Parts: sequence; C-alpha cells; structure tokens
Amino acid sequence: MLLMMCSCAGKEKNVSEKQDEPLREFTALNEVVDGRKDIYLITKVIDSNYWNVLVEGARSAGDAFGCNVYFSGTNNEMDWENQLKLLDQAVSLGADAIILAPDDSIELASKIEEIYSSGIPVILVDTIANTDSFDICYMTDNLEAGNKAAKEMIEKLSDMGFSEDEELTVGILVGSGTSQTINERLAGFYQYWTDNAPDSWIIIKDIQNCNGDMELGADLTASLLKEHKDLHGLFATNNGPTKVIANTVAEKGCNDVVVVGFDYSDEISKLISSPDYHASTILQRQYYMSYQGVETALEILDGNQTSIKFEDTGVIVVNHDNLTDPEVQALIEVN
Amino acid sequence: MKNKKGDLDYIKKGHSYYITLFSCLAIFIGAIIMLITGFNRLITQHDVHLSGEICNLVSEKMSNSLMFMADSARNMADALTEQNCRSLDVVYDTVSDYTSGRIVSIGLVDEDGNLYMSDSEKNEFEKMNLQKTALLADPVSISAPYRSTRLGQPVITLFSKFKYNDSHTGYLCVTYFFSTLQEAANTESLTNEIEIWLMNVESANIIQCAGSDPHASGGWANAYLKMSDINREYKPAFDAWYERMLNGEPAASVSYMIGDVRYSQVYSVIKSMPGWCVVVRIPSTALSETMDTFKNYIISFLFIFLNLVVIVISVVFNYWKRETRILGQLSVNDPLTGVLNRRAFELSSEKLFAHSKDASIMFFDIDYFKQVNDTFGHDTGDKLLKAFAGILKSYFSKYGIVSRYGGDEFVVLVHDIPSGQVSDMLDKIRHEVHSIRISDDKKGEDFKISFSAGIAKYPTDAADLTGLQVCADSALYIVKQMGRDGYRWYKQGSEASEAPDQ
Repeated sequence: MLLMMCSCAGKEKNVSEKQDEPLREFTALNEVVDGRKDIYLITKVIDSNYWNVLVEGARSAGDAFGCNVYFSGTNNEMDWENQLKLLDQAVSLGADAIILAPDDSIELASKIEEIYSSGIPVILVDTIANTDSFDICYMTDNLEAGNKAAKEMIEKLSDMGFSEDEELTVGILVGSGTSQTINERLAGFYQYWTDNAPDSWIIIKDIQNCNGDMELGADLTASLLKEHKDLHGLFATNNGPTKVIANTVAEKGCNDVVVVGFDYSDEISKLISSPDYHASTILQRQYYMSYQGVETALEILDGNQTSIKFEDTGVIVVNHDNLTDPEVQALIEVN
Repeated sequence: MKNKKGDLDYIKKGHSYYITLFSCLAIFIGAIIMLITGFNRLITQHDVHLSGEICNLVSEKMSNSLMFMADSARNMADALTEQNCRSLDVVYDTVSDYTSGRIVSIGLVDEDGNLYMSDSEKNEFEKMNLQKTALLADPVSISAPYRSTRLGQPVITLFSKFKYNDSHTGYLCVTYFFSTLQEAANTESLTNEIEIWLMNVESANIIQCAGSDPHASGGWANAYLKMSDINREYKPAFDAWYERMLNGEPAASVSYMIGDVRYSQVYSVIKSMPGWCVVVRIPSTALSETMDTFKNYIISFLFIFLNLVVIVISVVFNYWKRETRILGQLSVNDPLTGVLNRRAFELSSEKLFAHSKDASIMFFDIDYFKQVNDTFGHDTGDKLLKAFAGILKSYFSKYGIVSRYGGDEFVVLVHDIPSGQVSDMLDKIRHEVHSIRISDDKKGEDFKISFSAGIAKYPTDAADLTGLQVCADSALYIVKQMGRDGYRWYKQGSEASEAPDQ
C-alpha cells in the first residue's frame, strides 16, 4: 500500500527556486508500439507517492486503450521553468496529446495556449491553469472536498451522541497559510459547517498553522486539547497535519474526539481501523484523473470534442464504517 | 584692548571657525533628524487615515460595479416582463443564444426551482444550490463565485426577477466571468498593494478579487486563516470589526498590524448579494513607499542645502577672519612703517617691564624732518620714515620693541642688554642713517639725514614708563640743544651744556 501525499499544498509561487534542476528525460510507461498515439504526461513531482498513483493511472489507461504513454516531471512543485522545457520537448518529440499537472497556473498559461492553438490536445490534471485554452481539466474540487469533510465531522459527532443543544468545539490544524488547495478545503469546511452545524457547535477561531513543521503541529494540537475541554472535533486540511492530529489523539487516547483529515497514511489508517476512535479521511482520485485524461485525449484525437472544460474527479470519504467496502478498498489499494 | 588682542589670537588658532562650523552642523543635523522624525510620524498618521479612505473608495467602486451588473440584469428582466411571453420555454428560446464578451450564458429558473439551461449548468446549480440564491432576487441577487464546468473558469451569476404569462414569476440567470468583477477591482496605482475580497458574513469565507498574489485570484480562503498573523494585541480589534459585520452594520473599518506593517481594512455590505460584503485591505506602507520617495527628495535637497551653507559659512568666515586680522594689525601697528603704534607700545612695555630686570628706553627724533617734508614732499618724508623704522627694527627688534609715537618720533624699548651694547648699536645706526641720502636733482639739493636720541634706564632712572619717558625726553632735549645728530643717556642733574654721548 502506498501512502498518499498531499497534492499541491502551498507551492504556488511565481519564480522557481531551483532553476538549475536537471531536466528529466521522458520515459515510456508501457511498451512502445509503432503506429499508436503518443501521449506525454508531465507531472509536478517525480517519485512521490501521490504522483506515482497518478502516473500509474496513465500507464493503466495506456495499456487499456492501446497508446504509448511517456512520462516526465520535475523534482519540486515550483519548477515551472523545467515544465516549460518539458512541454517544448514533448512537442518536438511529436506528442499527439499532452497531459499536464502545471507547476504554476499563471507562468505556464501562455505555453499551454501556444500548444493548444497548434492543434495538440492539452489535458490538465490536478491543477487548472489560468487560461481557457485547454481541452479539459480533471481535478479535485477542493471546496467541495472541504464541504464533505465538514459533513463527515457533523455526522460523526451526531453518531457519537452529541445533541444539537450540546456545546462543543472543533479545532483546525492546517499545513500552510498560502496554499490554494488548503485554503479552498478550509473554506469548504467553513461553508458547510456554517450552513449545517448546530449553532452550539463552534469552530475555534484560532486556526492552528504548523507551516509544515510536524513537531509544531503536535504541540499546537496538544495545546488545543488542553485548552478546550469541550473540544470534540479535529480537522486537518492535508496529509501532514492529518498524521499529526491522528498521532496526538492516539497517544492521548482521546476517543471522544472526531478526527477528519485528508489523504491516507499509517497514522490515520490505524485510527480508522480502531473501533475505539472516530476518524475519517478524504481521499482524492488522482488515479482517475490521469486514467480519464488518457482516455479523453484519445477521444479528442478521434475527433470528439469535450463539452466541458472542468470535471471534479470527486473525493471518497473513508471511515471505520466503509473501510471494507470494495470501492474504498480499491482506492486504498492504489494509494 | 587686551580682549581684542585675545580674540585675535583665538581667531588665529581657528577654534572659533570649527566651533562655529560644528555648531551649525549639529544644529542642522538635529533639525534634519527632527524633520525626518516628524515627517515619518505625519506620514504614518496620514497613511492610516488615507489608506482608510482608499479602502472606502475601492469598496464603493466594487459596490458600484456590482450594482451596474445588477442593473444590467434588471434591465434585461424588465425587457422580458415587457414581452410578457407565454412560457419560460419561449423566454429561454429568446435569451439562450445571447452571449457577449462578458456574459458567459443566460438561463432561467421558475418559481418552483425548475431550471432552463444547459446540462452542465444544471449540475452546477444543483451542486451550488443556486436556485436558493435565485429565489432571493428582489429584484436582483448575486451568487457566490464558482467554477464553470463548461469553461473551467470562475464565474458569478446574477438573478433578476421578471414576469411572464401575465402573472407568473421567473428568474433570469445571467452568468458573468468572475474576471469582470476583478477588472472592476483593479486600480492603476497600488495594484499590488490593495487586496480586495468578497467575504461571506456567516462563514468568514473570502474570495480574492484583487491582490498581490495572482495565483490566489478567484480562489477561496477563510478570513480566520488569512488574518491569523495579526499581532495578538490587535486581534480584539479585528474580532470587534467582524462582530459589526455579523451584526449587520453596513460598513466598518479596522486598523491592525501584522509584524511591523500596519493595515487598514474596510468592509461594506453588498445589497444585491445578501450575506456578502466587499472587503478592502491596504498596507499603510503602500503609501509610505510613495511618500518615502518624496521624503528622500527632501532629504537630498537638505543635504545639498547643508553643503551650500557650509561653503557659504567658510567663505564668509575666511573673509571675516582676513578683515579681522587686517583690523587687528591696524589697531596695533603703525600703518606706514609697520612698527607698533603708541598705544600698542605702551601696553607691550608694561608686560616687558614686568618680566625684565633692566631695560632701556630710547626716544628718537629725525632731525629737521619738517624740512624734508617741505622741501622734498610728503612722499619722500614717508619713505624716510620707513627707512628709519627699518633700520631701528633691524637692530632692536631682536631685543625689544620699536614703535612710532607720531610724526618723526620713534620710541624703542630694549631689555636685558648692556648699555654698552646699546651705545654700540646706536653708533652703527647713526652711521647708517647718515648714509641715507635725499636729493632733488632738479634743484641740485642734497640733504643729510641724522637723528637725535635720548635714553633712560629702568629701573635706575625711573621705575615706570611715564618716569622713563620724562628722563629720555630730557636727555633728548639736551641732544637737540647741543645741535642734534647724536644720542645721550639720561643722567640725573645733567645740563644742556653737557655734550651728548655721541
């Protein structure tokens, strides 16, 4: 089982910090057969669990639909300049279609427009670009994902027996204050909570931000639990903080606290598996993003245009109740 | 006189110059520091006030843009009401094909929430529960921004109520690119400084319309996280500001600091977008940076001015110093011969007597000087005086002081030198003076120059200057009586019949 990593947290900057990173050559993901369409996949990060799942989706689609899939990417999520070079290289190598997870939604926009206007289908995955010159984008609607996290929190608190009149608080731990992904998940959580949670169930105003520092995150979580005796819910917006709150809750034996986080890790897995705790996590469907991306690219090359440009690939909520469901198990398996 | 001479010495040593210069510099630098400090304080006060005003203006501009869009939707709805179509299907056939640069699509919602639009838009409406917002239109309501499935871009939808088939109510849904609103938010100046959000009152969710980070543009966030960096002491102010928003106040402002930067923040309620406000934030440094340029100009000007002042002070001081030196010399020396004048001699002699065990005072008269003036003119007389003074200085300045008392009278005071040596020098002087020749070539006249001198000794002849003068004058008188061209040491009780010493 692979661990799922957060996809695009807090890495959106204008200028690459590692401009001298070597360019990674494209490698074929499946057997190259002459006469088949050549699809080029460019991801944000190579050799990360999250992105490996996405690459696997593209490889499977290549096998399933009979096309050659080539893959490359960058070493960090800010290296849009190397992505620019990879895009040029893909075009010069004769790409029939390109699937891209853009490192920068603004810096890469003009290059995407250029390739799209030259007649090469461009499919975006995971992150959308600041242009409408692409065929379709498969990504998670993080606002919606935040909605689902809040819905899960409310349901689990109700399941635990907390009444609407009972006063309780919910704490939030985020991994970054600048990531658009995290901000949208947080906004989605607040949006659903405001509309649906009982008035006496309060989100603690001080949102804890560990800025990627796991030790700090553990301290902040411990402080939340100590200072708020009525705290019965903890929400984390991405993988790192989810691990932190899962660990802290397990260490302190807080079985009266609902934990809702993102992505799949050993820490949250243990908590979900245990009948003594109340934990859930939200999984993205990055495998589906690239799988669908390859399939759509081939359809476009066959002359079928897409009627939409944005498709929310959705999320799956995993908790103790549905852990053994085949769909959930299948998703966990590829993660 | 003593003070004046002291001043002269003081000036000669240059202390006054540096003290004056450094005093001016210190005052000037102090004034600049005060000016800059005051300027900074004023800028800060001004910035806080002005940034609040700018927030108000931008907020008003955003509200007006939304109102303009709302008016457009309402006008379209009014036009549909005028047409009084039989059914919404007919209305939809009329409007569905209409698009413009800014309008993405047009759809309809009936009183029961049934949708007349493309399938992808129906999905969006279901997902975002936009029917609920449509039914709030009275006459107009605006949705929160959402991402269009068909276009992949952020959009907003305006709803406007209209009538069809006489009494039925329908809701026109006009979807705009969210960038339309962002363009309205743009300001030519301070583009990267002003942050503009739409803020949901209940959830504190915000959507960036404009700001320094273009990546966040159109994206969602939450004010609690966005404002989590506010310095602890300002958090109550922010909470109070948000409380006013929750209480339904139409507008309110707050000022707080994040680190060292002060921010002004204003919200104003959007009437056509229930539950939403426009929030504008600006760092006061945005204005300070502009004012800093102005401040730097002023400081540069002041330093140039300072340099000019230093140069002017130097020039004026040097001029004054030279004048003072000339005036000082004029008050001490005889301007014609360069030897001390009478007053300076009297002051100097007092000091000399105070430090001497013995001294000799000599009174000189140039013999028949009046005749020289009368015969050869005053220029020749002046030349003679200069030549005579020069000879006296060459012999006696090493041992004492030489002065001109007036006219052709000179007084010399020497100390700690034996009388014999004085006499020897007088003999030599007499010889030299005789060698001075004044002649008038036209008249063929030749005039022999000589002097008469009387000498008194301190302290044997007298113990003060007045007494010595009397004694020397007495000896001189005798020399003159005896036919001039000689000198005589004063001897008590001596008569005019006695011959001069030489």
